[in-house]
Amino acid sequence: MSSRAPQGHNVVTQSLAQIGNCGLFLLTLLAAIPRSFRYVRETIRQLWFVGAMSLTIIMVCGLFVGMVLMLQLYHVLSIFGGTSASGMVVALSVYRELGPVVTALLFAGRAGTSITAEIGLMRATDQIDAMEMMAVDPIAYVATPRFLAGLIAMPLLCCVFCAMAIFGGHLVGVSWLGIDNGTFWSNMTAVVEVHTDIVNGVLFKSLAFGAVVSLIAVYQGFTTPPTSEGVAYATTRTVVASSIAILALDFVLTAFLM
Amino acid sequence: MSQPRNSYAIGTGLFIVLGFSALAYLATQTTSVANVHQGASYAIETHFTNIGQLKERAPVKIAGVRVGQVQSITLQPGQEVADVKLAIDTSYNKIPLDSVASIYTSGLLGDQYIGIQYGSSKKTVADGGTLTLTQPAQQLEEMLGKFFGAGGVADNLGGTYTVKANFTNVGALSVGAPVKMAGVPIGSVQSVVASPVKLDAEVTLAIDKRYNAIPDDSSAAVFTSGLIGTQYVAIQPGGSPDALKDGDEMVLTQSAMQLEDLIGKFLVNGSSSDKKDADDGKSSNNPAPAPAGKH
Repeated sequence: MSSRAPQGHNVVTQSLAQIGNCGLFLLTLLAAIPRSFRYVRETIRQLWFVGAMSLTIIMVCGLFVGMVLMLQLYHVLSIFGGTSASGMVVALSVYRELGPVVTALLFAGRAGTSITAEIGLMRATDQIDAMEMMAVDPIAYVATPRFLAGLIAMPLLCCVFCAMAIFGGHLVGVSWLGIDNGTFWSNMTAVVEVHTDIVNGVLFKSLAFGAVVSLIAVYQGFTTPPTSEGVAYATTRTVVASSIAILALDFVLTAFLM
Repeated sequence: MSQPRNSYAIGTGLFIVLGFSALAYLATQTTSVANVHQGASYAIETHFTNIGQLKERAPVKIAGVRVGQVQSITLQPGQEVADVKLAIDTSYNKIPLDSVASIYTSGLLGDQYIGIQYGSSKKTVADGGTLTLTQPAQQLEEMLGKFFGAGGVADNLGGTYTVKANFTNVGALSVGAPVKMAGVPIGSVQSVVASPVKLDAEVTLAIDKRYNAIPDDSSAAVFTSGLIGTQYVAIQPGGSPDALKDGDEMVLTQSAMQLEDLIGKFLVNGSSSDKKDADDGKSSNNPAPAPAGKH
């Protein structure tokens, strides 16, 4: 039926079918959560893989994002003589936007791709089918632990990213450019609010992004065509779909949370 | 078998601890929660009538060097006085009792901080003591007002009375411009309208009631503060024993000088009538910069 439809229509219906399948897959995942409690060690192993092993890239990137942000803001704000506000601007922009978004993009590139490739290769080498033969639920054993691990790891990674960005901003602003240390912190603490910036900005957004990225990665892995080309294609699609979903969802979340 | 699993568990545990400590750091150190936190140092209390944009944790400086920070800012209940507690490094605990704490702004748009100028007293402020001499924050509006000569316009608290004056030319005089006597603002321009009958500009001056002894033969002139400043009405007192009353009209007026006219007169040096006017312009030119110089 879809092959008979016109080309443009075909793309639309296919994307709709993808989104629909993805949503149904999410329901399957959520339904499998109680069953996956038996495999809690597997969840911890995945948390170690997607979370702890991502720390290096997240910390280094956070540090440099904070540093470059402070450097740029200092030069722009010095035109208006408002360099003392740059610490505050770094904190607000990192907490509200850059922290969750950049962490999610890095997470998709670092962890999402490997989840997709791993599950896709399991699919291609019939390991998933073998599990079903042995009465091991592949959703509960393979998919849900990875999904949960991503869901837990993202907010924690985002917090580490934000802390490193503030540290980088402090390093450049206070130690290098000579902004007063007290002014840096006093401006920041005067404006940043726990609820609107930390809870809504850092935690809620990164939780949503974590859910979306892990869902896309696991879904793409499970629907991989069982060929080596299929694995490559699915891995690419994880990054593309995750990036689009993160940035689009970021706009929607910001519009609702503001 | 359990060895690699344990290393996963340790790595994951470390990751979770690190993540939560980062969250705790963000939530407590970089948000408004951090301001509750108390630091142990030499505490001084000061009272300001206006703290401007001073924030908690703003720097406290002596001779421009940072020695501490603002610990808390509270408003005394029932009083229009802000209580500002300063936490100063214990190595600078010999601050004379008659020192002055002032609120300054770093740069034009920068942040505010507290500067302490040492007094000459032998006694020093004890820990927890109060520095009584303070100087409140300068409001930018006030400073600009003083600079442009309009800020000191007498307000309507004491009430005003109005006096009319007709000018053949008011230049760029606008409603709200100050009315000055001896360079001191005593009122403001209430309205500037063209008179349909006399074909000149009728200016209504609202003058503070405190200045109710202005002789009725005083003259009003439109002057400019500085070369490019705003225009104002200057009143030059006459010698009459009778004072101006509400609704009176000032007869002697001197119009605004047009820069173009002046330059033209100097350059062209034309007819004798023009020359006479130019002389008038020159003679009245002298008092004009005088009030401007006072600002």
